[in-house]
Amino acid sequence: MMRRSLPLLLFAALALLYPLLVAGSEVYQRLGALVVLSAIGASAWNLIGGYAGQVSVGHAVFFGAGAYAALAGYAQFGMPPVAGAPIGVAVAILIAALIGVPTLRLSGHYFSMATIAVAELVRVLVTNWEWLGGAQGISGPAVPRTVLDLSFTSAVPYYYIFLAVLAAILFGTWRIEKSRMGFYLRAIKDSERAARSLGVAAGRYKLYAYMLSAGLTAVAGALYAIMFGFIDPESGCGILISVKMLIMAALGGAGLLFGPLVGALILVPLEEISNSLLGGKGAGLTFVVYGAMIVVIARFLPSGLLALFAGRMRPAGKPSETEPSHAA
Amino acid sequence: MLLEASRLTMAFGAFKAVDDASVAVNEGEVLGLIGPNGAGKSTFFNCLTGDLRPTSGTVHFDGRDVTRLTPEQRARLGIARTFQVPLTFESMSVLDNVMIGAFLRHHAAAAARDKALTVIGEVGLLGFADASAKSLGTPGRKRLEIARALASDPKVLLLDEAMAGLTPAEIRAGIDLVRQIHRRGITLVIVEHIMEVIVSLADRVVVFHQGREIARGTPSEVTRHELVIEAYLGKRHAAKLSGGAA
Repeated sequence: MMRRSLPLLLFAALALLYPLLVAGSEVYQRLGALVVLSAIGASAWNLIGGYAGQVSVGHAVFFGAGAYAALAGYAQFGMPPVAGAPIGVAVAILIAALIGVPTLRLSGHYFSMATIAVAELVRVLVTNWEWLGGAQGISGPAVPRTVLDLSFTSAVPYYYIFLAVLAAILFGTWRIEKSRMGFYLRAIKDSERAARSLGVAAGRYKLYAYMLSAGLTAVAGALYAIMFGFIDPESGCGILISVKMLIMAALGGAGLLFGPLVGALILVPLEEISNSLLGGKGAGLTFVVYGAMIVVIARFLPSGLLALFAGRMRPAGKPSETEPSHAA
Repeated sequence: MLLEASRLTMAFGAFKAVDDASVAVNEGEVLGLIGPNGAGKSTFFNCLTGDLRPTSGTVHFDGRDVTRLTPEQRARLGIARTFQVPLTFESMSVLDNVMIGAFLRHHAAAAARDKALTVIGEVGLLGFADASAKSLGTPGRKRLEIARALASDPKVLLLDEAMAGLTPAEIRAGIDLVRQIHRRGITLVIVEHIMEVIVSLADRVVVFHQGREIARGTPSEVTRHELVIEAYLGKRHAAKLSGGAA
């Protein structure tokens, strides 16, 4: 117990102190907030994509639902962006239920392709939806009216808000992982047919995981919109958003509690560095880099980086010596 | 009558893999389903478990019509199965595999773990509880599938060629395991290729050939049945065999 929880406590302490450690640098404070925000999205994705093994490449829809709800509430009704977040979460869960029922029947790549199609459809829809700002997008409050607008010049308040949300999500995921639902999701991932033969209502559990994942992804979207104060079809519903969640989780370890966080810790700084090196010229290159990363992860790290350290399960040893003989 | 299939037909296009088959399983018995390759045993079996929905006919379990129920609904009522090619949960440990079965009747993780460990002990896998399912060989996997199914506290357990691919010694141990399960009061339906297994385990046998039932009776009755010998060996060899006996 101690061996597992000690590194965790150290890491938590480091996370809490991080803004102070880089107190002099706004760039690093902002980077910290971005890492945590990305980890929230990737951890949300992890519930359906990692644990249940249903690889969604359309989570931008849910991210967009949260982001747009936050800013549309402000733009149309003058609500503080944070008040729109619960609406975004509800909308995301509703969309997940609507598209989950038909698409979660599909297996493997077919599900992934269906989610891409839905996400692209929604992006086009939003681009042509004037109420949501159309192609121009919508902005949040330019100057904070009250503290409820959560508009700060420093990244540090955002960092702590995001960290609290991430901690809550990881705690909830940990509880699920240890529960019947966590076991059932992993069983579905390994063999849906075998799981069903043991009484696992696979369709229902996948739908629950999908809805939960969608709702939490909307939280990430709302937090993004609150921090940046601007959203347009590309930054709210673009395919890169879905792809980034997937890559972060897969790089760190999909289906592992801290996998998405580890992925975010590596990828977000890399992305910031490459952006600053390439300036505005790198927009197209981002797609190439992410595509290459998918190939590399799929080929060399299918279980993610964390799996390299997770020696939890021992092999049964040489079959000749230790094979459970039927004669036992 | 615990499990009863009436006039079951399963057609894939024009081909009838199972053609108007009726089989009843009594509570507490061991029923064998045999037949040459492609006889329709596995298709019939999958209609009983809900993996396939029959084209026509009905399946009753414990007095209920379960024809339209999904596999998971049938599992909840007490039908458990193993697979011809083992479908163990490969990313999980042996214990976690069995816990999936145990969770059906024990919702708390601690209770499911206790139940799983008991069953793992009963099937002789205790030393492997923490091993990954992936690291087991065929006999281990087959045993694990049986453990997983038992952990769901079934009324009837359907074994789909549980002994295929095992060595003679492993088969003997497997037969002992099935006997032990039967003594606990679990009704068994076994689909099997290996005659030795059927003869030593089954109370009654139903023989399938080309989707139809061609014989039923005790193992010794059906193994002497003319049509059965013909189905297994072909007409010419069957004639030679009976000619030699005369």
